[in-house]
Amino acid sequence: MWALYTQSLRVVFGIGRSFWAKAATFGILVIASLPAIIQLGVAAISPEDINVTTPEDYYGLIQPLLAIFCAIVAPDLVGRDQRNRTLSLYFSRALRREDYAIAKYAALVTAMLSITLVPQLLMFTGNASAATDVPDYISDNWQDLPAIVGSALLLSCLFGGIGIAIAAQTSRRAYSTVAIVAVFVLGTGIASAVFEAAGVGTGKYALLLSPLHVVQGFTYWFFNVAPPIEDNRQLVEANFHGIVYAIDAAIVAIGCLLLVIRRYRRIAV
Amino acid sequence: MVCDYYRSVESAGAAREPAVAPTVAGQALIVSKGLAKRYGSVNALEGLDLELEPGIIGLVGANGAGKSTFIKLLLGLIEPTSGSAQVMGLDITRDGTTLRQFVGYMPEHDCLPPDATGTEFVTHMAEISGLPRTAARERTAEILRHVGLFEARYRQINGYSTGMKQRVKLAQALVHDPRLVLLDEPTNGLDPEGRDEMLALIRRIGTEFGVAVILSSHLLSEIERVCDHLVEIEDGRLKRSSPMTELTAVTSALVVEAEGDIELLAASLRKHGASFETRGRYLLVQRESDDVLDWIRDGIVENDLGLVRLEQSRRRLEELFESEDAAPGEVRPG
Repeated sequence: MWALYTQSLRVVFGIGRSFWAKAATFGILVIASLPAIIQLGVAAISPEDINVTTPEDYYGLIQPLLAIFCAIVAPDLVGRDQRNRTLSLYFSRALRREDYAIAKYAALVTAMLSITLVPQLLMFTGNASAATDVPDYISDNWQDLPAIVGSALLLSCLFGGIGIAIAAQTSRRAYSTVAIVAVFVLGTGIASAVFEAAGVGTGKYALLLSPLHVVQGFTYWFFNVAPPIEDNRQLVEANFHGIVYAIDAAIVAIGCLLLVIRRYRRIAV
Repeated sequence: MVCDYYRSVESAGAAREPAVAPTVAGQALIVSKGLAKRYGSVNALEGLDLELEPGIIGLVGANGAGKSTFIKLLLGLIEPTSGSAQVMGLDITRDGTTLRQFVGYMPEHDCLPPDATGTEFVTHMAEISGLPRTAARERTAEILRHVGLFEARYRQINGYSTGMKQRVKLAQALVHDPRLVLLDEPTNGLDPEGRDEMLALIRRIGTEFGVAVILSSHLLSEIERVCDHLVEIEDGRLKRSSPMTELTAVTSALVVEAEGDIELLAASLRKHGASFETRGRYLLVQRESDDVLDWIRDGIVENDLGLVRLEQSRRRLEELFESEDAAPGEVRPG
């Protein structure tokens, strides 16, 4: 299982492959880190305390990139083995089908962590090193670290779960890429529309089905910050406790993993 | 998990053998009872009762006869609709994961990632089978040398010929040192030379490496050249399971092959009244009495021919199958 996990990560990041195999993932990773890099630059140059972005707003800023990254990586991880019909070689070995599903899921979560955790940690260490008094900065902001790790992990599990549950259904890369982007984009759009149409009382539950709303919801909760009204009117009006979003994300992530296990138990090879 | 198992065994300084490794020698390789598989309304395999000893076993039948289904059932890749089977004493349904540690599989279809190199892919498959990385690399180099791919091992698979791809498929089936390999149509798509090489390789696996082999093919000539035992499946049913020696029994005819004009020898034999037929470059002479041997010797000497081959003829599988197919009112078993 470990061998499958590490090999899957090599595939995602194109390690041992040509430049172009690395281009997409590393390209998105760099773009997703840009706000953090800009924040660091500003913090280093300017003596004033200027906030280009904050950790709790970061995912909101890079939402499209998170969805695109997931839509590119997930089909690469699971679709290839179906397309090349390598599954029959895996499943004719002493590898249980659920181990295959778990290894692939873990690889996707790890890949998602690279785009969620890395920029956040970059920003934290940059801000800390740019601060006039580093120990003071860390003692004032240390509680951001568990929030960064917790929110990044939950986001990665949620996006990874949705991505792999869709990608495992087909060997066609184009289909799964489009379907994953559609779930993120349409999911958010439909939830917002339902919220507006049905009113807060009933409509607020629709937000729990929108991955991007859920991510925003639990991220503010992890950082112990109330969602600012200007960009998050629906979240503020829905007024769920943050933990509801976190539990919702965990349930969806686990549900998706179970779906993937079921899929591989049944798949004909 | 196998991986952890191997690591724990190796770290203890023991050999990479499990405590309860199935043994092939001295026990039936495969025992199946009423093994059946149905896909919807189609019976892919019907009530297969079979007991096979270790060796090189040929699985023959037309395309769609149920050969691949039988192989997949033995591997536990699909579950039987009814019946049961044991491979090396392990139940295919209950002990599937354990069983697959000791079995190698070469599917009929393409199954290789085009952008990996031969060595990368086979090493990965060895690791999936539980070998630690270093052992997997060493074993891959060794097995790629055996299958004749050592020189091309760092090239990407999409640059390989069909024959090379078949060799990679064979290598991955052998890399974890299995006790049984299941080869599904391994000569598919190969030219005659590639076919000969692949069959020679399979024969070596069975004889030199001591690995039991199940080889499926729709070509009788391949089975005849390589296998010790033949299993014939027709329309999902077992038609025949016999040792090859029984099927290709020695006949009374003599095969005589000589350098020079074989017609001169034919003329000498004709003078003695021997019955024979000419088959291209050799004669098939009926050994009606021991005098026939003297006539052949004399004919060779008198006509200054070079004797290349003088042996008792064996019945060919194809002849057997053809004669059965032609038999009127034949009742087929099963």
